[in-house]
Amino acid sequence: MMSDMIIETRDLIRHFKSGGGLFGKATTIHAVDRVTLSVRRGETFAIVGESGCGKSTLARLLLRLIEPTAGQVFYDGKELTAASPRELRALRGELQFIFQDPYSSLNPRMTVGALIAEPLQVHTQMKSEERKTAVRGLLRKVGLRPEHADRYPHEFSGGQRQRIGIARALASGPKLLIGDEPVSALDVSVQAQIINLVEDLKQEFGLTLIIIAHDLAVIRHMSDRVAVMYLGEVVELAETEALFSRPLHPYTQALLQAIPAPAPGAARGRQVLAGDIPSPAAPPDGCRFHTRCQHATELCGRMKPPLGDAGEGRSVACHYWREITPPPLDTLTASTRSNSAQQRFELYRRYTKTPRDQGSDAVTHNNAAPAGGI
Amino acid sequence: MRAETAEREGSARRAVPAAAAPVLQVSNLSIRFAAQPADMIDDVSFAIGSGRTLCLVGESGCGKSVTSLAIMGLLPQRVAQIQGGTARFLGEDLLSMGRAALEAKRGNEIAMIFQEPMTSLNPVFTVGEQVAESVRRHRKYGRTEARERALEMFRRVRIPAPEKRLDEYPHQLSGGMRQRVMIAMALANDPVLLIADEPTTALDATIQAQILDLIRDLQAETGTALLLITHDFGVVAEIADDVAVMYAGHVVEHGPVEAIFNDPQHPYTLGLMGSMPALGGHTGRLMTIAGSVPPADAMPAGCRFSTRCPFVVEKCRSERPPTRLMPGGHGVACFRAPLELNVRAQPQ
Repeated sequence: MMSDMIIETRDLIRHFKSGGGLFGKATTIHAVDRVTLSVRRGETFAIVGESGCGKSTLARLLLRLIEPTAGQVFYDGKELTAASPRELRALRGELQFIFQDPYSSLNPRMTVGALIAEPLQVHTQMKSEERKTAVRGLLRKVGLRPEHADRYPHEFSGGQRQRIGIARALASGPKLLIGDEPVSALDVSVQAQIINLVEDLKQEFGLTLIIIAHDLAVIRHMSDRVAVMYLGEVVELAETEALFSRPLHPYTQALLQAIPAPAPGAARGRQVLAGDIPSPAAPPDGCRFHTRCQHATELCGRMKPPLGDAGEGRSVACHYWREITPPPLDTLTASTRSNSAQQRFELYRRYTKTPRDQGSDAVTHNNAAPAGGI
Repeated sequence: MRAETAEREGSARRAVPAAAAPVLQVSNLSIRFAAQPADMIDDVSFAIGSGRTLCLVGESGCGKSVTSLAIMGLLPQRVAQIQGGTARFLGEDLLSMGRAALEAKRGNEIAMIFQEPMTSLNPVFTVGEQVAESVRRHRKYGRTEARERALEMFRRVRIPAPEKRLDEYPHQLSGGMRQRVMIAMALANDPVLLIADEPTTALDATIQAQILDLIRDLQAETGTALLLITHDFGVVAEIADDVAVMYAGHVVEHGPVEAIFNDPQHPYTLGLMGSMPALGGHTGRLMTIAGSVPPADAMPAGCRFSTRCPFVVEKCRSERPPTRLMPGGHGVACFRAPLELNVRAQPQ
């Protein structure tokens, strides 16, 4: 029986021990604390938060790349956290990961062809010749060229390396792809190419995507639903448009207000969140956000608000979400572009239209091709 | 730690009028790296007035950082040769200035903030000592006076518990706090010009907003001219008065921030803006720029963007487009601008 949910977690906890060597006492880092969420089949689910909020740890827990301290993860109804090493290995092909820095995840001594063939060798029964054909097909799918198979990772640009990482993830026929900051190390124009590529591939292969990111504009563009994390906990979960138009949790509100304005003059008069994120080694009692929250009362320092139902399929972990008025998000208003500028953007779109954005940020750059037409 | 929010200053910075003579005037700057067939920086010109903020925007490798290092005299001369041009700071050319004269200005009248504060701070000295040292380097201050100045600067950059922080080491501070220390150090000698190279890129969104607010507020107080280098149009929208968009070592478009955002002209500017999810729309496909920046040995003789431009014509490949001035001080280096008049509505 297929459930609607591809991944579910129950009270997932991961603590790290740190220190405790020669100097000082050991501390416990509360990286992920009691996270319960479910990801629907076929959706793009985003996990957003600032550094140290536990989003990358959560991503790794979802695929059991690291073991949880407590709690469960279910994939397709099967408990991943209870699977034997053999069962887990069999499932690995369906669960794939794209890393932030593709270069450090690609063996520099293997050719691109060998890198992409490796998962085929592990997860399929293909013979050597079939694998070669499959590698060429995958390279084309991600916008690279078949002859790139004989090159080494260092010969490629950052965007192309990310394409190689994606080809490698696709090789084993995954159902779920998790991208941990898959575009944040890339230049803006290359980032756009990779986002378009991932969205095309999702469509083509019917994938479920989980995107971990700190860039809210990327999240808004790519995802259907968003979970906002703060200090190891999910504080708000909602459909993307609902979250961006009416954030309920004060932390989400602060995060959205911190997005740089899309046009000059748009950011005036906003409220900026003061202070730093407390250390996850000593998270505040009660609501973990209460030390920076402008709405906090004595209750917030004493009692942790549960992640409760807020209607319309949303959840929020705040005692006062009903009373707090969401701030005007003027940073998100439409731009004030002139008519002629809009015409220019339209022309640009028309002139750069290609069936699929090519990975033409190629080492072998073709001067004669004006617009991605390799 | 008590929760509080800082109200934004508003647009106080715009009240500062641009002085008649610019603080910094870079003219026709060209730089070539040793053994390279083309200039890394190609005929770059811009000016910043007192109290104004100019943002240099572009992607990695476009030369925005090299330009700022050249102005500060921080490029190794054996590797990077200045082929021509001037960088006049209050009338004096920094590029032809002697080493001693330049050192007297650096960290004093001209200060710099870098992207990663951890690598610019010395891990074995307290942050208080490091700020005090930069004061004593340029002023005849005693130890106590210098420490006092450091404390005053810590207060001005809104570091909580400043007395305590003075005696802490860089590793004890968060990324945002370290960047505040760098700003305190940079502003300690009341610079006339502040150069900030990606000052918020390594920071989280909420911390970036704090630092941008701080820089803006301090600039409004001091009237310092600011050259800010960034790849992020969001940062530009927040802080710039004027913008210069760089591509492959050349300024392809420049003008007041409103003109760049509301009326972008150059195909590269259009492509870059359309690539950003925040500007390119929340749904649908993002715009992209095909290809990549040509290496120095394949740099086209004409427009440097011609190898990637969707609107390229023969002239673009062979001839350099001059920067043409549009109304409102808006300059564009493109033969085909304005596109809506010069380009066929449908591609052939």
